[in-house]
Amino acid sequence: MAYPVIMPRQGQSVESCIISNWNKKEGDQIKKGDILFSYETDKAAFECESESEGVLLKCLYAEGDEVPVLKVVAVIGEPGEPIGMHLDEAVKEIAKPGEATSPIEIEEKKEEILVPMEYGAGERIKISPRARKKAEDLGISIDNISGSGAEGRIIEQDIIKAAETRQPATSLAQAMAKDLGRTIPAQGSGVGNRVTSYDLLSPAVAGEDSEIRKISNMRKIIAAKMHESLQNSAQLTHHTSADARRLLELRKVAKEAFEKGLSENITINDMVCYAVIRALKKHPMANCHFLGDSIKVFKKVHLGLAVDTERGLMVPTVRNADDLSIQGLAGQLKGAANSCKKGNINPELLASESATFSVSNLGSYGVELFTPVINLPQVAILGVNTIISRPADLGNGVFGFVPYIGLSLTYDHRALDGAPASAFLREIRLEIENLKFTI
Amino acid sequence: MYDIGIIGGGPAGYVAAERAGQKGLSVVLFDKKKLGGVCLNEGCIPTKTLLYSAKMYDQAKDGSKYGIQCSEVTFDFAKIMQRKNKVVAKLVAGVGAAMKKGNIEVVFAQAEIAGRATDHIKIKAEEKIFECRNIILATGSEAFIPPIKGLVREEVMTNREILEIKAVPQSLTIIGGGVIGMEFASFFNSMGCKVSVIEMLDEILGPTDREMSVLLRQEFTKKGIAFYLGSKVVEIKGKEVIFEQDGKTGSMVSEEILISVGRKPVIQGLNLEALGVEIERGAVKTDDRCRTNIPNVYAAGDINGFSLLAHTASREGEVAVNNICGTTDRMRYHAIPSIVYTNPEIACVGITEEEAKAKKIAYKVRTLPMAYAGRFVVENEGKNGMVKIIVGEKFNEILGVHMIGNPASEMIFGAAIMIEMQMRLSDAEQIVFPHPTVSEILKETVFAFKD
Repeated sequence: MAYPVIMPRQGQSVESCIISNWNKKEGDQIKKGDILFSYETDKAAFECESESEGVLLKCLYAEGDEVPVLKVVAVIGEPGEPIGMHLDEAVKEIAKPGEATSPIEIEEKKEEILVPMEYGAGERIKISPRARKKAEDLGISIDNISGSGAEGRIIEQDIIKAAETRQPATSLAQAMAKDLGRTIPAQGSGVGNRVTSYDLLSPAVAGEDSEIRKISNMRKIIAAKMHESLQNSAQLTHHTSADARRLLELRKVAKEAFEKGLSENITINDMVCYAVIRALKKHPMANCHFLGDSIKVFKKVHLGLAVDTERGLMVPTVRNADDLSIQGLAGQLKGAANSCKKGNINPELLASESATFSVSNLGSYGVELFTPVINLPQVAILGVNTIISRPADLGNGVFGFVPYIGLSLTYDHRALDGAPASAFLREIRLEIENLKFTI
Repeated sequence: MYDIGIIGGGPAGYVAAERAGQKGLSVVLFDKKKLGGVCLNEGCIPTKTLLYSAKMYDQAKDGSKYGIQCSEVTFDFAKIMQRKNKVVAKLVAGVGAAMKKGNIEVVFAQAEIAGRATDHIKIKAEEKIFECRNIILATGSEAFIPPIKGLVREEVMTNREILEIKAVPQSLTIIGGGVIGMEFASFFNSMGCKVSVIEMLDEILGPTDREMSVLLRQEFTKKGIAFYLGSKVVEIKGKEVIFEQDGKTGSMVSEEILISVGRKPVIQGLNLEALGVEIERGAVKTDDRCRTNIPNVYAAGDINGFSLLAHTASREGEVAVNNICGTTDRMRYHAIPSIVYTNPEIACVGITEEEAKAKKIAYKVRTLPMAYAGRFVVENEGKNGMVKIIVGEKFNEILGVHMIGNPASEMIFGAAIMIEMQMRLSDAEQIVFPHPTVSEILKETVFAFKD
């Protein structure tokens, strides 16, 4: 009997995976434990091993396709066996994404809106693997091809037809497209709209004014989270600034200590986080999750830190941050940031539920004021700005320039009112200005 | 109300007018002097006419090499200049006829922008206001006169004045060894004038491929032209040019002085400020569709400071008109040929070897003497020439072709097509060249990459 191969679920927050490579093709003999295909989430890459034996009868998705987890990806069985049953199942699943049978999915009430969508490129392009292969061979883009197959699916014939009507590419452009793994656009900027190498290399200059780029899974998640945050809360931002003289002094001391062999190089950001944790202990209502009809007040501080990585923004959590010394905190924050950059962070620590409060520091970019976006269900986030010198009254009629560090606190007004939020922000300021620690 | 108002009747302006006329648009063309611009009146055409006379004179004197004896070869300079004027007049009249045929209204007056209304731009000329939906700025360029101590404008010549010269001077000092300087050097040298060239850079012909400019300079030195390279003119005292070379001061006295250090876009007097047209380094800034920063305002030709060539200007004029008509058309500058009409001629298209090195492009190069083509040997007794082809290392695409030797000017378009079509060596190998022609040298050089 034929067996379906299902896209495995990797962690609770993963809704879909991208097939990065097919190791087997239709018609291949499959043994138990053979690697069928590799796939990736926004965070890691995996391989799918076959759990059954037989012939790979059908691959339902091509390389680069994004497949919702628990969906049928392929069918394995004996040659000639009917596989329609599984295909029907696959169609049914795609048609009714909300009706899930696994217990994990039942927990997630919002499954319908979490089904991945193609952002930017409009509707998902339906194309047969054979047609996709043909398009790749001919180097032509599958955008703007209308499919003549079932449900508008693009079939091989459509690709051949499209290739005939498109503008020719120069021989250099063809060779280069193959070399770069790029598709040849429908129209170019050369003689008689021929596609030239310039259209491949700098489409913005010589070709179209713009190009459609698929966004990464990670970008989709960030987009959804950010939009959700602004749509579903009542957030606003208060700004203040703290005298940074003490911070700068301590930073000097820390730097010297590091140069003399201290294991951690304690940064200004580490110090601000340290001060924030202390302020949170005094203002527990800022160290909460807002759950709609209730507020979850945490006894411990789990601090989220916004980290910029090549793949996009990540906010890893340092659990029980209030138990850490300044060195410990510095080490943990650095470790978490590095794990994000390397891509080996524990996905659970990236969930916004794992942190009780977050800090986002744009000071190194020279940002003077910004309105950070809350990671729901947290109730607030602190934006840390650059240090700028400002005139200040030093007392006794003396005025001088004092370095100030900007602080921007975004809070959810559903959970917190203006006065307590302001008091909390003042507390952070006082903690920073009177920061004490021993190395 | 006109569809297009074009300021400047040179190769950008009149070609734009002609194309727009063919599309049935209503066009008004302004020029403060004559149709044809610098190209027809004081550039391309008159200089080439003179150079052809010089070439015939050279050939007549050289006749014995080919078994033709001409005794007492002489020239009549007044007749040479007359013929030049006749050629110019004929071609300018041709442009006028083309304007008439296209129903272009031509206004001979200084024109300036007089402001913008909701749906048109006002151009003022002869105290009259012309309302135009779109305008094309095509005022071209003029000779740049550098600030040199003691320089009196009336006592030195530019391309404009030297084309009206009455007799061949005994001696001529040319300040600036660019294309214009070298063409006049070639002409006056043939006419028996003692020519000296003072160039600030360490080689003549600026951005031209070094091997070409070196060979030309060597040929010219053989013919008696004196070169002072890496020399900065510090003062002009009457007919004496004082210059510094390697820290030493030199001096050159000659009957005439020609200034040919470069050209600058003409943007004065257009009142561009009225619309806020963006200027960058003295030129009107345009994109690859010849659009300025202001909607409905286009610029074509030397005024944009890109290429300063008549054929570029004409193409830009067409691009501007096409975009005005709603057809996206883009300028491509990578395959525009450039020619120095000296004897021997230099013709180039694409990147030079120096450029490839500077841009760190991985390239391969082959150079062959022109004598590899039988027809060159037939027609160029005792002369030198060469062709150089530069291709990309990885894909073998033809990136640059450089030639010196006659008639390079008539062959370069073939190389330009190769580059424009992004041909690779394997494509170029399949082209059949007529035999016997000098152009076969291109094919030979293409196959030289197989060695």
